[in-house]
Amino acid sequence: MKIAGNDILIQSLINEGVEYIFGYPGGAALHIYDSIFNQKEMQHILVRHEQGATHAADGYARATGKPGVVLVTSGPGATNAITGIATAFMDSIPMVVISGQVQSHLIGTDAFQETDMIGVSRPIVKHSFTVDKQENIAQIVKEAFHIATSGRQGPVVIDVPKDLTNPDELFDFNYPEKANIRSYNPPVKPENHQVSRAVDAILNAERPVIYAGGGTISSNASDELRELNELIDFPVTNTLMGLGVYPGTGKRFLGMLGMHGTYQANMAMHNADLIIAVGARFDDRITNTPEKFAPKAKVIHFDVDHSSVSKIIEADIAVFGQVKDSLKAINNHLRSRKDEINKEKLSPWHQQIREWKEKHGLDHELYKNDSDEHAILPQAAVQHIYQESEGKAFVTSDVGQHQMFAAQYYHFDEPRKWINSGGLGTMGFGLPSAMGVKLAYPEEEVICITGEGSIQMCIQELSTCSQYKLPIKIFNINNLALGMVKQWQDMNYDGRHSSISYEDSLPDFVGLAESYGHVGIKITKNSELKEGIAKAFAIKDKLVFVDIYVDPNEHVYPMLVAPNGSLKDMWLGKGEKT
Amino acid sequence: MIQRKLTLVMENKPGALARVVGLFHQRGYNIDSLHVDPIEDFEPFRFIEDELGIKFQVGEVSRLTIRTTVGDKLMRQILRQINKLIEVIAVSDDESTYLKGILRNENLL
Repeated sequence: MKIAGNDILIQSLINEGVEYIFGYPGGAALHIYDSIFNQKEMQHILVRHEQGATHAADGYARATGKPGVVLVTSGPGATNAITGIATAFMDSIPMVVISGQVQSHLIGTDAFQETDMIGVSRPIVKHSFTVDKQENIAQIVKEAFHIATSGRQGPVVIDVPKDLTNPDELFDFNYPEKANIRSYNPPVKPENHQVSRAVDAILNAERPVIYAGGGTISSNASDELRELNELIDFPVTNTLMGLGVYPGTGKRFLGMLGMHGTYQANMAMHNADLIIAVGARFDDRITNTPEKFAPKAKVIHFDVDHSSVSKIIEADIAVFGQVKDSLKAINNHLRSRKDEINKEKLSPWHQQIREWKEKHGLDHELYKNDSDEHAILPQAAVQHIYQESEGKAFVTSDVGQHQMFAAQYYHFDEPRKWINSGGLGTMGFGLPSAMGVKLAYPEEEVICITGEGSIQMCIQELSTCSQYKLPIKIFNINNLALGMVKQWQDMNYDGRHSSISYEDSLPDFVGLAESYGHVGIKITKNSELKEGIAKAFAIKDKLVFVDIYVDPNEHVYPMLVAPNGSLKDMWLGKGEKT
Repeated sequence: MIQRKLTLVMENKPGALARVVGLFHQRGYNIDSLHVDPIEDFEPFRFIEDELGIKFQVGEVSRLTIRTTVGDKLMRQILRQINKLIEVIAVSDDESTYLKGILRNENLL
């Protein structure tokens, strides 16, 4: 059968099992959109801004593990997608972005809506392709999906000149079964000698910590991690990206570590004699000053990416390969040496951690105080959301104080339930990513915990939610200012609040939501909080925007002391340091 | 910090060179000099074909030589980052060679 370039592209996506394509049409993509019109297997979701398309595809990918797919036009369509591509790149999220391009003969002439998308996106993609002829489209799509979803995952861009999607020129179409890329060969299985060295170190540890990050989720290795923990009973901390990979309510869970990590997690890392890093990359928000990081610890690092190991913190033992395979190998090896496992010797260490937790652990019962004598605490708002959703919801988030409160106080028992921009820290991510999650799991509760700063960065997507009837719950933790910036200004700039307030220019969020056909709820007092949130969850068929006015002076604690601090140096409250 | 030489064998595709050069800037490394030409004599590179089970054709691959002045730790990081680029088939410095997933502790290029 002979078909045209635009149909080859769309049929290739259908062959890859794509259910949703998030996009926005325009001149250079019109042939492709015509092809979308003529099929029924895949649904196009029309967003209101290309950034929203990339975040929605990203949310879909994080929740399902399947690649998110985006279609944008050339020029501004492509550049608007950049923030979302960078977000996916930093968190290693599989995504395929198809950008229209001007006709081949116009490339390089500054044609209307021409941008060098390959050049602009180069530093923030795992790989990119320019389609050179119609006969290669199917092969390129196959390779793009293979690259995006294998090894350390990431976004791939396919730039398609308009003439190569011309419906009048027909070609043979056979979708390839395999992508054979001779110069691409990511490690899969770990090597035996690495595994046995890691097991030796595990058996000898007295003060160990498992530090698991987003790579454990990407690799779908949550079960293997839990099995490992059953075997050895080590304390577990998760990075912001790793939350849910080990149960948030689990017995050995320390909470998140790092910049706003719990006291016990940071103290355990600092005092550990063995750190088992699993799909984590020792980001600067985790290590604080690298030279002062965990001075007594030996480090075992499990990662699929060679370049992540010993980049910041030197690994004593490196286990390369898909984290899932590596953990399986470790678990098998440990089972064969079961009589050498001595859980008893960890008791003093567990006792020490319990003491740290009792001394300065987070208070998870703030929500029980409903007195109107003080303003609503943002932490309590998150705790109520956790209670009312029974801890089972998908939670997306934006960036700032509300994000940290959500990470600290919503306990995630399953992976892929906590969806946030960890690496790039992209404000505006929460709402569109929630759309992607809701489309993937229409029966599940999907919550976006946001702030009045972040939500306004992609608020146009309220219209998309209306069009596709996506009944997500938005909780706007409204402190009337850019809270995290304000916190830094309070702590490091003697309280000089430079450009963090909107004065009286905030919209009436309830009225705004209602104008799109959604439901709005405003909560200003503690005594209204429980009931207001419960009311939002009782509404099943509509998007509910809950605007919660919280204490504008609240800070996120603990907070690592920087610069020059170690993981044991934390602010525990206003003016209170370890 | 000493000047070191990196040798790459990479696919001769549009944009491939830009990825290598871009990587240096992006990661904050510096290029002292750079030389690139298509490989015509494949004899010295037969071991790559054997190791990876592939066959080079004339005009398909290029050899790239980059000189850069860095310390040991950064050199290792640069090698690993370059090895990650999809179109790079092999890369070596004075002490080691990456053949995609395979690391050898000698300069084979």
